[in-house]
Amino acid sequence: MEFNIYGDNSGAVLRLDPRIKLLIFLSGSVVALNCYRLTPQLVYGAFLCAVLALCGKKIDGLKIFCIWTFFAFLRICITLSGKGHPLLIGLVRGLSTLVMFSLPILISLMLLIQTTRINHLLAALQSMKMPSFVMIPLAVLLRFIPTVQDEWNGIQKAMAFRNISLDADAILRAPTKTVEYILIPLLFSCIAVIEEMTAAALARGLDSEKRRTSSAVVRMTSPDYIVLAGLIAVVSFALYFGKTGAIL
Amino acid sequence: MIRFENVSFHYGGETGTGEGVDQIDLEIADGEVAVLCGESGCGKTTVTRLINGLAPHYYEGTMTGRVMIDGLCVNEAPLSSVAAFVGSIFQNPKSQFFNVETTGELAFGCENLAVDPAEIRRRIGNTVSELQLEPLIDRNIFELSGGEKQQIACGSVYTADPRVYVMDEPSSNLDKKAIVRLHDLMVKMKKSGKTIIISEHRLYFLMDIADRFIYIKNGRIDRNISVDEMRAFSDGELSELGLRCTDLSRIRLSPELESFKTAAEKERTAAKLALEGIDLSCARGNVRILDVERLALPRNSIVAVIGDNGSGKSTLAESLCGVIPSDGSVSFDGIFLSRKERARRSFMVMQDVNRQLFSESVAAELTLRTDVSDEKVDEILNGLGLLNLKSRHPASLSGGQKQRVAIASALCAGKDILFYDEPTSGLDRLGMERFGRLLRKLRNQVNLSIVITHDPELILSCCTHALHMEDGRIRSLYPLDDEGVRRLRFYFLSNNSESASRRRDKSTPLGKIAKYMGENKRTLIVAALVLLLGTIARVIPYLLIYRLIQPLLTGTVPTFRASLPLIFGVLSCEIVHAAAYTYGLQLSHRAAFRTLENIRLYLKDRLEEQPFGRVLDIGTGAIKKLFTTDIEAIESILAHMLPEGFANLIVVAVVLLVMTVIDWQLMLATCLVVFMGISVSGQMFHVGIEKAGSYFAATKRLNNTIIEFVNGMEVVRVFNRQGESGEKYENQVRNYRDFALGWYRVCWPWMALYGSLFSTITLYSLPFGILLILLGLLNLADYVLILCLSFGIGPLLIHLMWFIGAIPNINLKIQALEKALDYPPLKTGGADFTANRYDVEFKNVSFAYKDGEVLKGISFVAEEAKLTALVGASGSGKSTVAQLLVHHYDVSGGSIRIGGQDIRSLRSDALQAQIAYLSQDIFLFNKTILENIRAGRPDATDEEVIEAARKAQCESFISELENGYETIAGGAGNKLSGGQKQRIAFARAILKDAPIIILDEATAFVDPENERNLALAIREIIRGKTVIVIAHKLRSIMNADKIILLEDGRIRAEGRHEQLISADPVYAKLWDLSESAADWVLKAREGDGV
Repeated sequence: MEFNIYGDNSGAVLRLDPRIKLLIFLSGSVVALNCYRLTPQLVYGAFLCAVLALCGKKIDGLKIFCIWTFFAFLRICITLSGKGHPLLIGLVRGLSTLVMFSLPILISLMLLIQTTRINHLLAALQSMKMPSFVMIPLAVLLRFIPTVQDEWNGIQKAMAFRNISLDADAILRAPTKTVEYILIPLLFSCIAVIEEMTAAALARGLDSEKRRTSSAVVRMTSPDYIVLAGLIAVVSFALYFGKTGAIL
Repeated sequence: MIRFENVSFHYGGETGTGEGVDQIDLEIADGEVAVLCGESGCGKTTVTRLINGLAPHYYEGTMTGRVMIDGLCVNEAPLSSVAAFVGSIFQNPKSQFFNVETTGELAFGCENLAVDPAEIRRRIGNTVSELQLEPLIDRNIFELSGGEKQQIACGSVYTADPRVYVMDEPSSNLDKKAIVRLHDLMVKMKKSGKTIIISEHRLYFLMDIADRFIYIKNGRIDRNISVDEMRAFSDGELSELGLRCTDLSRIRLSPELESFKTAAEKERTAAKLALEGIDLSCARGNVRILDVERLALPRNSIVAVIGDNGSGKSTLAESLCGVIPSDGSVSFDGIFLSRKERARRSFMVMQDVNRQLFSESVAAELTLRTDVSDEKVDEILNGLGLLNLKSRHPASLSGGQKQRVAIASALCAGKDILFYDEPTSGLDRLGMERFGRLLRKLRNQVNLSIVITHDPELILSCCTHALHMEDGRIRSLYPLDDEGVRRLRFYFLSNNSESASRRRDKSTPLGKIAKYMGENKRTLIVAALVLLLGTIARVIPYLLIYRLIQPLLTGTVPTFRASLPLIFGVLSCEIVHAAAYTYGLQLSHRAAFRTLENIRLYLKDRLEEQPFGRVLDIGTGAIKKLFTTDIEAIESILAHMLPEGFANLIVVAVVLLVMTVIDWQLMLATCLVVFMGISVSGQMFHVGIEKAGSYFAATKRLNNTIIEFVNGMEVVRVFNRQGESGEKYENQVRNYRDFALGWYRVCWPWMALYGSLFSTITLYSLPFGILLILLGLLNLADYVLILCLSFGIGPLLIHLMWFIGAIPNINLKIQALEKALDYPPLKTGGADFTANRYDVEFKNVSFAYKDGEVLKGISFVAEEAKLTALVGASGSGKSTVAQLLVHHYDVSGGSIRIGGQDIRSLRSDALQAQIAYLSQDIFLFNKTILENIRAGRPDATDEEVIEAARKAQCESFISELENGYETIAGGAGNKLSGGQKQRIAFARAILKDAPIIILDEATAFVDPENERNLALAIREIIRGKTVIVIAHKLRSIMNADKIILLEDGRIRAEGRHEQLISADPVYAKLWDLSESAADWVLKAREGDGV
């Protein structure tokens, strides 16, 4: 699985301030919980997909929008036709609700992680006066996601040489053994990395009392304000019309 | 100043890589470079930690005494205050960065010290330009190689600009170029007055920077060694101290290796291959990182893989042993194996051996997943000196011991081929020697050992072959005989610090094609829209047919009158479909072929930028294939897959949506079938690809055999060896048959399944629909409508699935195209030739071709209006000099200047205008003789051309030809003799009238009749020019103004003929040889005459 934690924004038309993206992420959770009607949901979804596309993930934005509209369409069809086996209806409805509920969160996460250069994100958090006991663990966490990925790739290779299979049946046959084979090397090499990394970071003055500066520039620019205005409009629309009335 | 005052330190707890240090008294002055050396675990690292304060602040332990830097007591002051003026670089590249992004990492130290952001950015800019980090900035650190990461670590510390640098084995993971860069960086630091304390095993690169060496033994400072003393140590003395070599040019092939060098020679003739890889390639994302046409490694050899960081060494090893997916095929012992089988039969000792140890004891580690007997385990452990560690936990062992446990586990599992990924990085001399002995010992136990390494000492102590990788390709593979050792030493000693890191183009294959499309993009979009219309027209008739039969469903009889418009509708739809398809495909083909034209033009430009030798290397056959077959693949994408795929996809999606409106359940059923169809076609492709490797390899071999068969036909017939050659040919044909059948046998079941199950999707929706009708959930009319729609989109779906299946194959083709000319081009500048003198100066020019050093630092001047001759035995590098001057190749070192202007700064045409190059290979265009001569200067008038021909003594033979100057020369009309062609070439040169003339054995193989004429022609050409003559017949250059005698790539002597013949025995001998050969020709002619 590829997290793209590095956040490649090379193809972006719009380079938003990470703080706006954070706001979008937070609003995503609010809207998902408080908006049940299709039209406001779709408007909100279209807005998110457009922002995602503008931030460089054109294909992903389009793809997610298509999935979203397809499920909305399917729901409308089911409701309007009034046909279908109850069991099947329940299944499809449940699935589509789940998809439509989780998509806003997925999109805003993608926006936050995959389209934001990681040092910009950290710089933005820092400019929000985030204390260092939050910042440093977060930075370490973000650095460790690809580290664990790297280690895991290496361990998989080592396993191939040792004839340790990771097929489903092999795992099912001996689940604890498999976990052991994964965890032992993973832990040992991660511990080694952590130890040396801490030493390197300390030797470069990470525990300094002085307030850290940041070389990355994060500033709100006019596109940020436009997107912010759009976001406020769409979210208030979704929240105001989202709760009452028919399903549409 | 750094001062240790009777410092003792011992680690508490489990941290630490040694025992600690005792009673260290040490003073290091400001601006001093002190090298800490000694065996592994002697306490070097602890000393560095005491300076940067990590001990005792981070690595806890008991400490007495104190460490002072100027006025600051390091062991009492907080770490961050030490960090402000001590910068540390560590051994392990992967664990010394804190950020995910390179630029952020460069800023990290400064940010911690609260430096102003604008100042940080300025410093980063400075660091980037001084350390050549441009290709590395703004990148994900995790995609960098170890060496590149280390550079970023150096850069990060450099940006913080500390007064004292502390380095703990910084070169462990670096290639030789990066070491040269590290060396240069240290020189820079030293110049600006920084103090450097470096703990290292590799000493050779520090010899000219270090001020003194501090030799540490068992945690105490044993002695201070001055640089001169260190240099004077013999290898034996160094060995006694456990130190690695101090001068790479002194290392020799290990005596143990000498003994089986001869054995290797013998085996090479037996040519049993342990491993063969054909057409290996591997891409990460959209970036190709490995591209190997063929690799064959003999049995029982130990192959050293060398090359710069990021040149694809590890990727090669990993794809050979099958742990990463790659294209191409690999055989072990002559049998082609799938990826999984390869992983089962090989083993790699990874750089980070922690990842490979899975068990709670050494014994358990060895018996893991094998049924090896206890005696065997003991025997193997004993052989590796691990028997007393049998019950220890692997994590508690030292690095070298872990490595040996991993090797032992491979031996227990009976692996054939062992790979080692930089096994000696960070090892001291003893460790390296021990490892070398181990490899030599294992040589007969395993089929093949492959060692990725940057240590020439290791290679010369145990390897039999060297494999040089460059930029994902194999640059050379050679056995380590005397010549091989020379080449290896040349590789490691050449002082090139140029960064090999490149920014890689990550665009998708389609993005790459789009670059060449330009205007045609719009045409293609129009084509897609037209095809969309055509596809819609293809589906609508089914709806009309539904309307036709609808009355039947309600029980009424359809009338002809009512049906007529519908039938017309169907007919007109068909016409629209046909018309739109014809027009759309026409458009798409137009776009496709115009794009192909662009690509071919682009390829031609790229080809012209390439070093001439590289073009020869690629070969005419491969270039032809590239320009024709490979490019044609793109035609099918642009003309069919893209526009048709788009149209089909849209229509299918719309129809499915319509179906949803009619009955969503049947739509879901249809989707399910489509999904299954796609997965089966994917499976088909997947299974096919596993076996396809050996199939393609067989194809390739068959091709080669055919070419060999045809090329060798003449020899075969003359020596009556039809039987042998024919047998080989038959074998290959039979092999090909077997592989092809094998491939199809695997694919057949899937193809059959695919063909039979998914040829029609109605097969599945039909029974499901009937079920729904019976349950009363669907009415008949809707059902029939859906059936009609299914019929409509059926063919489109099959088309689509086919396209999806073909995408990976097309990807391969595009990559092949991309990789073909992705070599660094010649270095040409944009300058005009502005000098007004035409002397040629070679300044310390060296040139290497495929690891072989052809020219070794040549300096000479060919003066204007003088004749300079280059003589020497074959292979002394004479012709290379000429080819470098006309810029067919780039020099590896030094420079070539014409009139003081470096030829690399000149535009290609500006350079060529100054030089007329006459060699013994003459190419005549398939045009008239007049035009052929005019090629020398295209704007010459007919009169000028004829005048030039006259001066070149061509007139006599041209007038005898049937059509005179209008006779077609060149390939087909081969009426001219060698000497006549030569004179035409001379006429060209006279016409060109370039100020510099190179005659590269231009008069070789010319019969005496022509010789007199040629001599006249030459006299005409060289009048008043800078002339460089390369000659075998020394008599012809007797009167040269300067004769340069080349020997083995060096200038042995220079002077006039009279001086040389008396002073230089080699020249005298050459002269005698040349004279006697001339004599021999003369005598032979006399014999003829009798």
